[in-house]
Amino acid sequence: MIDRHAEAQELLAGYALQSLSGEDAAEADRILAEHVPGCSECRQMVDAFQAVAGELALEAEPIPPPDPLLPRIHREMEPRGRSGGRWTSGRLVAAAASVVLVVGAGGLAITQLGDRKTPQVPAADVQELVDFAIHHKTQAQTLGGNAQEISARGVQELYVYGRGVPAPRPGFVYRLWAMSATGATHLRDFLPYPDGTVLVRLEVDPSTFDHLLVTMEPAGSEPLVPGEPAWPETG
Amino acid sequence: MRDGDREDRDLHRRLASGDRGAFDELYRRYSGSAYGLAYRVTGQQILAQDVVHDAFMALWRAPEAYDPARGPFRTFFLALVHHRAVDLVRRESRLRARSERAANLEPLVGEDPAEAIAEESYLGVRRKEVREALVGLPPEQRQVLEMAYFDGKTQVQIAEELEIPLGTVKTRTFAAMRKLRAALEDAG
Repeated sequence: MIDRHAEAQELLAGYALQSLSGEDAAEADRILAEHVPGCSECRQMVDAFQAVAGELALEAEPIPPPDPLLPRIHREMEPRGRSGGRWTSGRLVAAAASVVLVVGAGGLAITQLGDRKTPQVPAADVQELVDFAIHHKTQAQTLGGNAQEISARGVQELYVYGRGVPAPRPGFVYRLWAMSATGATHLRDFLPYPDGTVLVRLEVDPSTFDHLLVTMEPAGSEPLVPGEPAWPETG
Repeated sequence: MRDGDREDRDLHRRLASGDRGAFDELYRRYSGSAYGLAYRVTGQQILAQDVVHDAFMALWRAPEAYDPARGPFRTFFLALVHHRAVDLVRRESRLRARSERAANLEPLVGEDPAEAIAEESYLGVRRKEVREALVGLPPEQRQVLEMAYFDGKTQVQIAEELEIPLGTVKTRTFAAMRKLRAALEDAG
């Protein structure tokens, strides 16, 4: 019988080093969402591995950065608390700001206010979403189930973000498709984090499809054609 | 908690309230380590500058991303730098070009490579501990660890390059991380 903890921790070691890809990366995401929150041993291991990943940076020889870098940063530092500024999507920013980053020892976990014991969305992913909103003129499309597609014209990157997204039926996952006149393209499967947060980043050009569709499918099934919309009332 | 870590925590608290002086002090403490790491991973000065710039801007804009209750500021911030550096080389599909230069990084221009970083003593002590811990790893474990961390390669890419099973890469990585964890905890 496979030692579930050993299997999970082996993946978490690779996760801390950002060296997972494909199915392993998806499995690590699933473990972080489903197993780690309820397993103190694996939670400790996540924190420990993230700490090691932070310390490993010290192996690199320190190099003084170019002198103009700090003045460049100073020029871009907005006074704290100023509203507006470079944020291009107030709605998105409000959403991103509504989560509390709980990053410890490089620990990649966020959670809602008042619920600091539950590891959730990788903080680095949230930071990417915030950066995306900072640097691009974003637009939001409702996908249903409290989830939205966040994209920007001309940018080959988009996010699916939601809070309070209901969990799929046991044994099922949500499946994301790009729908166009030529058919459906499977993008990836995902599950909400235990608190209902969804944050999925996709490297895809939004101009290459008409809209996204989310379906609910049996976990592990072959993604051949879309099944029924997960949230038919709006999806 | 080491004195340096305690000072970092205080600096972060001040930064979170908008203190630019605290930001500048954290920049002074960590920009060298951050730039050295980013340069090692990306292999290009311009990319390394972007990584360090983005990391410090992220720190200024969202200081709450760091929770002092869960570890030193240092490991949080340098993990953030590493994440961005790896993400950048992957996003820009420059991994191959970077790897080809791995043995001969782009020469630093406009900087004196011999210039010593005047870093805090606690950081120098920790740097020595990290290097000793790495040297203590079996060579095959250190190899996969460095290929993942500093070359930004996935485990699949490492397995292909070394012509070993993916499972072996995973096992070696896991073993290396556990040994490093133990060594660094023992060191303090």
